[in-house]
Amino acid sequence: MMLFYFQRLIEIFPFFLKGLWMTAVVSGISLIMATIFGLLLGIARASKNKLLVGLIGAYVAAIRGTPFVVQIFIIFFILPEWGIQLDAFPAAILALTILGTAFICEIVAGGIKAVPRGQWEAASSSGLNLYQQLRYVIVPQSLQTILPPLVGQYVLLIKDSSVVSVIGVMDLTRVGWVTVNRIPEGLMVFTLVGILYFAISYPLIRLSNRLEKKMATQQVML
Amino acid sequence: MIKFNGVNKWFGKLHVLKDIDLHVTSGEVVVVCGPSGSGKSTLIRCINRLEKFQKGELFVDGTPLHDYSTNLTKLRAEIGFVFQQFHLYPHMTALQNVALAPINVRKMKRADAEALAHEKLDRVGLADKADAHPTQLSGGQQQRVAIARGLAMSPKIMLFDEPTSALDPEMIGEVLDVMVKLASEGMTMCVVTHEMGFARQVAHRVIFMDEGSLVETGNPHDFFANPQTDRAAQFISKILTH
Repeated sequence: MMLFYFQRLIEIFPFFLKGLWMTAVVSGISLIMATIFGLLLGIARASKNKLLVGLIGAYVAAIRGTPFVVQIFIIFFILPEWGIQLDAFPAAILALTILGTAFICEIVAGGIKAVPRGQWEAASSSGLNLYQQLRYVIVPQSLQTILPPLVGQYVLLIKDSSVVSVIGVMDLTRVGWVTVNRIPEGLMVFTLVGILYFAISYPLIRLSNRLEKKMATQQVML
Repeated sequence: MIKFNGVNKWFGKLHVLKDIDLHVTSGEVVVVCGPSGSGKSTLIRCINRLEKFQKGELFVDGTPLHDYSTNLTKLRAEIGFVFQQFHLYPHMTALQNVALAPINVRKMKRADAEALAHEKLDRVGLADKADAHPTQLSGGQQQRVAIARGLAMSPKIMLFDEPTSALDPEMIGEVLDVMVKLASEGMTMCVVTHEMGFARQVAHRVIFMDEGSLVETGNPHDFFANPQTDRAAQFISKILTH
């Protein structure tokens, strides 16, 4: 029987690859957007503007303090009450972007605050405007603090993307559910799902570790 | 060029600058000295508004610094600032450090800015270090790159905040030499320093500060030979016997 199910599983393997692709697309788009917004909000959060810092802080606290599955239900089920209809796919991307942005903006703000004040003073003293100070002096130096946890955050985001299956996005996790209805070997099916997640997460984990080591040696040089 | 009128500054309750009146003319070299905590660094940091002050007026090259709507970016491009801790950009080479502001503020072409940067590095005696990163340079060399970085903007004023205090003794000379040369070329300079040899050699005026007040001001010869106040006399005897 086991063998029969295993053969069935291999037959429908392309279905899993489709799920994997959906997971990659949903998390890929979200993490690109979250990186852009996280960078912008992170810079604002490291600024001296108390109102901005407070507002972003409240947003980060709200996202960190609630389960992601609740956030996605709010976006998918409650927004329509206010007349905002979203399909599962854009709702998933919106929810993941909001989640990722909150975490990434904290990472970015931490990295920017780690750059010594003298660097800001030197850059502003030479007549660079705020954008130029950030672009040429501050952000490049903060990258060594930002990159390792940022890549780590991407891994978390990819894994969190499995939650979007609850609103019907046909991602890898949902493919697992659907398959279990036809092949009642939960262990076998979800082991395969797990392996496929691992296949995209693991290279990123390796990358994060490598960055961490590389940055650590650079730090010693500075 | 620089005009303080009754400038006062507080850090919280601490009164760090008390009724400062000071007028520095174009081409003048002014040395500011005094015990630590006397407010001398704060004083010159006000000149490009790295520090804000609460009361009084300060004009730099005609620009009112007490008016917070002033466009600082434009003014700062005209003032070079050299820090005690150098603050070179660690992720850039010496050349890139010097060329960054000319490219982005003066909108020079990269090739022109790099030629200019080579020229300035040559002027501080570091022509051969253009491609070195700050970590590969000694303290004295880093500080000279920092001076070249300031000079690359062709500033009207150069400010030095204890430029040799973080250096090993054997490197102080090479930095002072550059500064002496600069002074002899007619640069307007305000220098916070304990290097009294430098003050004697090039300063037009020495200013002595204590506890936030401008206690005494005079030409270097008179100041060292006949200090007018006890506090200045004490200070001089301390650093000279030191």
